[in-house]
Amino acid sequence: MFNFIIRRLLYAIPIIIGIALITFLLFNVVGGDPVLQMVGKHATPQVIEELRAEMGLNRPLPMQFVDFLRQIVTFDYGRSYSSKRDVLGMMIQAAPVSFTLAFPGFIISLCLSISASLFVAFWRGTLVDRVFVVVSVLMISVPSLAYILFGQYFLAYKVGLFPISGFSFDPTQVFSYIALPVLIWVVLSFGGELRFYRTVMLDEINQDYIRTARSKGLNERVVMFKHVLKNAMIPIITSVLIQIPFLITGALLLESFFAIPGMGTQLIDAFNTSDLPMIKAQVMVFSILYVVFNILTDICYSLVDPRVTIK
Amino acid sequence: MTTATANMSEEIVKKAPKGRSLWQDAWIRLKKDKLALVCLYIFSFYVTLAILVKLGLIASNWGDTIGKEYSPPSLESWRHIFGTDIFGRSVLMKTIYGAYISMTVGFVSSMIAVPIGVVLGSLAGYFGGWIDDLITWFYTTVSNIPSILLILSLALVLGKGLTSINIALGLAAWVGICRLIRGEFMKHKEREYVQAARSLGGGHSRRIFVHILPNVLHLVIVNFSFLFMGAIKTEVILSYLGLGVQGVPSWGTMIDEAKLELARGVWWQLGAATLAMTVVVLALNILGDALRDAMDPKLK
Amino acid sequence: MMRLFVFLSVAFAVVLTGCTKKKEQNLNVLQLATSAKIKGLDPAGAQDLYSSSEIMRVYEGLLQYHPLKRPYELEPLLAAEMPKISKDSLTYTFKIRKGVKFHDDAAFPEGKGREVTAKDFEYSFKRLADPRVQSTGWWLFEGRLKGLDDWRKKYTNTKDTPTNYDDEVEGLKALDDETLQLKLTQPYPQLLYALAMPYGAVVAKEAVDKYGKEFINHAVGTGPFILESFNPSDAIAYKKNPNYWEATYPTEGESSDKENGLLEDAGKKIPFVDGINVRVIVEEQPRWLHFLKGELDTSGIPKDSFNDAVKPADPAKPLTYDNLALSDDLKSKNIQMTIAIAMDFTYTAFNTDSKDIPQLKDKKVRQAISLALDDKESIQLFYNGMATSSQTPIPPGINGYDPDFVNPYRTGDVEKARKLLAEAGYPGGKGFPELPYDTVASATNRQMADYASKQLDKIGIKLKVISSTWPQMLERIQNRQAQMWGIAWAADYPDAENFLQLFYGPNAQPGGMNGSYYRNKDFDRLFEKARVLADTPARTAMYKQLSKMVAEDAPVVFGLHRIGVGLRQSWIKNFKYDEFAFNRSKYLRIDTEEKKKHLQ
Repeated sequence: MFNFIIRRLLYAIPIIIGIALITFLLFNVVGGDPVLQMVGKHATPQVIEELRAEMGLNRPLPMQFVDFLRQIVTFDYGRSYSSKRDVLGMMIQAAPVSFTLAFPGFIISLCLSISASLFVAFWRGTLVDRVFVVVSVLMISVPSLAYILFGQYFLAYKVGLFPISGFSFDPTQVFSYIALPVLIWVVLSFGGELRFYRTVMLDEINQDYIRTARSKGLNERVVMFKHVLKNAMIPIITSVLIQIPFLITGALLLESFFAIPGMGTQLIDAFNTSDLPMIKAQVMVFSILYVVFNILTDICYSLVDPRVTIK
Repeated sequence: MTTATANMSEEIVKKAPKGRSLWQDAWIRLKKDKLALVCLYIFSFYVTLAILVKLGLIASNWGDTIGKEYSPPSLESWRHIFGTDIFGRSVLMKTIYGAYISMTVGFVSSMIAVPIGVVLGSLAGYFGGWIDDLITWFYTTVSNIPSILLILSLALVLGKGLTSINIALGLAAWVGICRLIRGEFMKHKEREYVQAARSLGGGHSRRIFVHILPNVLHLVIVNFSFLFMGAIKTEVILSYLGLGVQGVPSWGTMIDEAKLELARGVWWQLGAATLAMTVVVLALNILGDALRDAMDPKLK
Repeated sequence: MMRLFVFLSVAFAVVLTGCTKKKEQNLNVLQLATSAKIKGLDPAGAQDLYSSSEIMRVYEGLLQYHPLKRPYELEPLLAAEMPKISKDSLTYTFKIRKGVKFHDDAAFPEGKGREVTAKDFEYSFKRLADPRVQSTGWWLFEGRLKGLDDWRKKYTNTKDTPTNYDDEVEGLKALDDETLQLKLTQPYPQLLYALAMPYGAVVAKEAVDKYGKEFINHAVGTGPFILESFNPSDAIAYKKNPNYWEATYPTEGESSDKENGLLEDAGKKIPFVDGINVRVIVEEQPRWLHFLKGELDTSGIPKDSFNDAVKPADPAKPLTYDNLALSDDLKSKNIQMTIAIAMDFTYTAFNTDSKDIPQLKDKKVRQAISLALDDKESIQLFYNGMATSSQTPIPPGINGYDPDFVNPYRTGDVEKARKLLAEAGYPGGKGFPELPYDTVASATNRQMADYASKQLDKIGIKLKVISSTWPQMLERIQNRQAQMWGIAWAADYPDAENFLQLFYGPNAQPGGMNGSYYRNKDFDRLFEKARVLADTPARTAMYKQLSKMVAEDAPVVFGLHRIGVGLRQSWIKNFKYDEFAFNRSKYLRIDTEEKKKHLQ
């Protein structure tokens, strides 16, 4: 087990270097000179050149890459070009905001879709099942922007149930602001998740031991909860774990539409202003999280299923 | 000796059509699924629309003003059934033109992703060793970069426009196919028929392309419909982020404009684009599922 | 298990929709909102309007604009009086006001703010020149003060030598604690305007040294308000400066000020309010809703709610800025409205030195395009009627604006446009290449570009829209890849020179202000003559002549001057619209009785 973890960790190193390389190549050749925006509207070529030198942007690319690698290791991503603030500090400030939105959205849709999938699996093959499947496919077929726009328009603007957008750091008010985005989050993810968990449940139901359990004369309900759900937990936990990094960046579109100052909004702002330190830091931190959670998933899997370790 | 080999490989070649009966088999099974068949027709309808637009037979006059700005849907003429936009242009025309853009994005980006994925996946799965290590490293790296970030940055690097959207989507989407094909190749290369081909002196490329590939290609077809769907959905997001197509209408830009229009009560542009998109994505979804069931009975 | 899941989800939903609680609040605190994240509070980095407004609550400079007098007039702030200017207009001597203290801050010994001296101004201005600071305000002094450019050069590209602020610079010297002397390389009448900008604010060396890069988050100034808390993406709180110097409300103003009740507090000590809360609310709609609930004291009107908020004063006529009244709903809330033409102009620039589209070098082609791009309809479509066509770069309210001048290429005469294009050799647009048009990517900009291409269709010119992010577009302009692009310019100070410099030949350089690369020797000669003059009728006449030259040559298509509609609650007193002054909150008074009544 220990060896397995070590091996996975070592394997992560070339991957992280690869991600760094791709990120670096992409963004150091990406259009949009950040200097031009920073010098402001009264720029002269001389001032532009001076600033570029000051920021180290005229140094050879390999040197800049080495710097970038050092930044990754030390977690010191420098200062944002546009706000001049410490990038890591900005991200640390934004992460809990994203989490405030993502965590309830994630938990609610998870609970709902798992409950529904059990329900559907119980009624498998009947009309109920068929309706649920069609509805869930329909739900994932509607463009996500349409949910957001219609939700904002009808529930917030027309009916006035929620504030149209915004966010508050005041804990007594934050709920009213995140209620609608969370609701939309749930609607957005419910269809896909229901579909996934339904397959998982059906896979379990078709296993021999379930048939055995049933043939023993066990109540169908006991079978569902005691056996099916318990054994389906493995794929469920895996899928949950792998989704966690996404929670921290939050939903890009939701955040930006509802003006929630989380990491998603930050990233879109950074793209729009060619704020390279921020983009690089976000891509790297997020990718590293992804790698880490992948490893965690593997470890979980190997704990549950010994065959994985042998492979 | 030589003749014998020739005879035997001929026999194998003869066997191949029997392998291909998988396709016929799948078609028969698909035909039984009425819902899937309807979806296939719907998809074909969109493709036909797109071809007609491409040929300039319909919707080439989408830019014409047909009435007052922001007039709601009416039965005044068939061009008014989805109302008009800010410049009094027919929303229906724009939606049809958008279908062409979406079909193009879906098709071209899949055509970029599939060959890359298939070639890399086959090489990795077939040869193993350091080639496999390298390719696995490469696709793991790419798949560890959140795809929306990858697409965004690629689109930014490549500049705006339809071509760069296609390339960006294609370059971000090959990973799944690559992984899948690699896995299948690893399974298949140990199978008897490949071993036989090898003992008969079939070269690497022959074994890859003639023997194994046709046996795993159905997976590509199944994936194709999901790739297609993903591309259509991502185009909308790119448009919202200002990276969409320029100068011509697309569903993405139409939905994007709704954020300015809804507060004025103008819902029809959003409605038309959403409807058009939902229908085709729904069809692709159901079709994809049905194809998977039809082509890979094991999965059922 | 399933029941548990369902229960959990329902419980979450209930918590989510939980109600909100109001805190007990001090009524004598201004409740404001800003629409952009604040990019730090360092005066040397005061690039945008939003940051400048916040910076100037805390910081002060030598001069400020008189809060009531119009046209804009400068008056001393931290200077004891207006400066003495030598006969050759090259030496400016300032006396510094006595008894002005920096805010109490940990940067000072024992945390007590010390008195401001002339040396502080010398330091603050040198900071703008320091290449390490990367100030966006360097242009104000670049090539202007004797020896300052050399001082700057010493530290450019020399990472290891720390900037030495004790180095003497001939043109920027504190003669003693109270006297600051500026020596110019050539006459520069705009210097005084520059000193009234946020860049001219005085900072304390102790604070800059103590906080280093974090100085942007620690404002230590001399102003009427002290920074209490600062979260650039959420809220900023200020409290009244108890040690503020003896500043008083003005005793004179425009003739109309008295009847508007703007002189009721004449001579009283300022500031009147106990503090300011500024909330960062990026989206228009929530800002608007907060305002309607009375939680914000001022607001603009969101584009989408425009028709709910205002109506034509004369119902028979269309809604324009001079025919505007509040809706009955807002009127019943006693909300007050201010309408003002912003000192800016939007324009569509041509690359008049283009290699790719050499046709743009031809004046007639540019004039034809200018004629085709009519904005009568677009003002309604995109601005709710809240804009006025610009005939020249100079907006109303600035000396040099000519209300009688009509730009002959802004009439929307499509026939004339076709004729001009034919004269240039492209009848009906035949043989004219596809014209790239650069714009910043957003839904509105896309629609505007769509509209422009429809208009140019009429004369047979095809547009190819290229939308980019703002930095990408700047880069395309700098690299001469952009051929035609939409952009705007807002005044830094009320002098037409600030607008006309966009067409000054020597400013035509990569990244420079003259992105059109417009070069006209006559223009340059006259501009050089005019810009060194003090504000006189002769100069105004020159400015008018200059703007006519630009109108004739059409290096850009003049767009429009935007019109701002500002609303405020009934309890806000002493409000007067002001384009340049960012430090007006110190004059505002809250009628707490009225506010209490309203909030109940």
